[in-house]
Amino acid sequence: MGNRLLSSLILTAAMSATAQAADTKVIHVMHQGDPAGVAAIGAVAKAFEAENPGVDVETIYAPHDAYNEKFSAAVMANQLPDVMELDAPFLANYVWSGYLQPIKPLIDKDVLDDMTNSNIVQGTYPVDKDLYAIGLTDSTVVLYGNRKYLEEIGARIPTSVDDAWTREEFEGYLEKLSKLDGVKWPIDTFRGYGIKTEWITYAYGPILQSSGCDLIDRTTWKSAGTLDADACVEALTMMQTWVKNGWVVPQSAGTNQFYAENNPAALALGGHWFYAEAAAAMKDDIVVMPLPKFGAKGASPNGTWIWAVTKTSEHPDVAGKFVSFMLKDKEYRTFIASKSGYPGLKSFAAESPLYAAGGAMAIAYEQASKTAIARPPYPAYPTITSAFMQAVDEAFNGGDPKAALTAAAEKIDEDIEDNDGYPPFGDQQ
Amino acid sequence: MSDIALSVSQPNEKPVRSAARTFRTIQTVCIFIVALVIISPLFLLVVASLKDDRFQILADMGSFRAFWVSDPTLNNFKEVGHFSGELAFGRYLFNSLLILVTTVGAGVIVNSMAGFVLAWGTVKGRAAILSIVIALYVIPQESIIMPLVIMVSRAGMTDTFAVQIVPWIASPLYIFLFYQFFAQLPKELLEAAQIDGASIFRIYRSIFMPLSLPAVATVSILTGIETWNQYLWPILVTQTDYARPIAVAIATFFGQDSIYWDRAMAASALMMIPILGLYLAFQRWFVSSFVGSAVKG
Repeated sequence: MGNRLLSSLILTAAMSATAQAADTKVIHVMHQGDPAGVAAIGAVAKAFEAENPGVDVETIYAPHDAYNEKFSAAVMANQLPDVMELDAPFLANYVWSGYLQPIKPLIDKDVLDDMTNSNIVQGTYPVDKDLYAIGLTDSTVVLYGNRKYLEEIGARIPTSVDDAWTREEFEGYLEKLSKLDGVKWPIDTFRGYGIKTEWITYAYGPILQSSGCDLIDRTTWKSAGTLDADACVEALTMMQTWVKNGWVVPQSAGTNQFYAENNPAALALGGHWFYAEAAAAMKDDIVVMPLPKFGAKGASPNGTWIWAVTKTSEHPDVAGKFVSFMLKDKEYRTFIASKSGYPGLKSFAAESPLYAAGGAMAIAYEQASKTAIARPPYPAYPTITSAFMQAVDEAFNGGDPKAALTAAAEKIDEDIEDNDGYPPFGDQQ
Repeated sequence: MSDIALSVSQPNEKPVRSAARTFRTIQTVCIFIVALVIISPLFLLVVASLKDDRFQILADMGSFRAFWVSDPTLNNFKEVGHFSGELAFGRYLFNSLLILVTTVGAGVIVNSMAGFVLAWGTVKGRAAILSIVIALYVIPQESIIMPLVIMVSRAGMTDTFAVQIVPWIASPLYIFLFYQFFAQLPKELLEAAQIDGASIFRIYRSIFMPLSLPAVATVSILTGIETWNQYLWPILVTQTDYARPIAVAIATFFGQDSIYWDRAMAASALMMIPILGLYLAFQRWFVSSFVGSAVKG
């Protein structure tokens, strides 16, 4: 009798556990970020679970500098998460490789309608023109200036994107600043971020584009003849000269020389995220200006870390629901805003006085509509960025810009050739 | 004659002694400089961990201020103690220690057994096996890391402690190191024990292992350092914080937009303590093992 009772109890417990497990939908969310970011995403996951009984959100954190390795391992081990954060320029490669699914049917309509044009562009795959990822934020790079130094050299302070400095003005000011007392380096181009991050392609690529060239021809998808064209060589030589002249903060000096004690750097070509920390230290001494026009037109970068749903997800509906929930979550928005997050949703822009007309970063928001150029939305992008980073590093270390860019272009074209032109991209020619 | 010799040798000895003294002084200064170069990064790490402002840490870098803290605080250590993530920092430390102790313990047993069998065992083809072991040593870990990821994921080992321990227990280098050490011990030890009727395991456990403390210390320290510093492997094979070690936790402080140098330094200082303890515990044998290897050449 006792044994029978025990058996039935065990059976009941086992059955209820199995039923509970079967009812629970588990989604895995892979992301990167700093401690506060990890905590914010953790809080969103808990709030989502509370609002959706029967759903379990498991977050997978991967450090920023090892994110791609972690992603590759997940692919090889057939353990792709349901939701993943990805850097926008890598989207084309991931979609082409078959890792992601169109996200439009999975995301709340009000969120889709809320996207800025730049946000739509960063999440769209150019072949089928479908949306594969969405973000709360976008990004840009602006030119920060030290008001005191600029006034001392009598520099003109641009008030709109149309008003941006020309190359002649910019280089003239660099020279004047290099001779000004108290200025150790006229500009910080954030070499301190190193050569293994996306920074070089993201921030220096627009200098090439403004100079009249690009990383790759976006019609023929060939790099030779474009990346190593005279305009690009001239642009890289110009940057190399700044370094040779001792105008640029060296890599070893870190990333805070603009607002460090005594303000050793007078200008900073920095991301929108740099504003929060620089403004906290410099208060009203900081001036936000558009990127200079190095040629006939202005150019600025866009794209940031956005959210996608993978093709292997067993619960794409729940995954999409989670992304929608996160993008609308008030606390998550407050956290992103505290880091001077650059709005990728119109409603988030309305909540961000920093970027609104009259706001300190209004010019940054203006840049997105006037000069933003996405990094090449092409499956060979990982090779493009790696080859370009190498070329810039070589030039900054005294190498010949022409030779460095030619080698980079060859490397990119080799990769494209090895992949038969990444069809259907090649077929579109 | 001896008086003459004495009177002749005295003026010569002084310059010789003074030259020797000068040489010793130069030697001491050189050793001091080398020690300073080696210790300075650790000192800088500890000093930086006591500074309250991450931007100040950066600003001080590149000058002697990096080695000085005017207003020391333990705030960074407190913040590290409560830092975000599913688990507290103490848990990451526990995970790392568990992985370290298990890998080192199992590594010493498995590698020494293999080394002993290769040195004194009766297995046929020992020389061939030894050649394979040496050949395996030259294969870089990076080249096998992805196939290994696939293997462990198919075995259902991801996100466990086992996945961070099992693949790294057996090591061609340490097997060879034990083999070399055992092979140099006199054969008479083995023969005497065999005459007394001891089994091969008993000979290994009661005679050869107690004589092998320098080799055990070397393998323990090297395995310990390797295991403690594992970074990429745990990232690739773990999904959650459940079994993640401290090195991965520290990487959280290196964000996309900003680096929390203050907390990273404090966490790194904490991370340094156990491995320093391991080295101090085995230091005597570790040094003698290296000296022994050098003498035996």
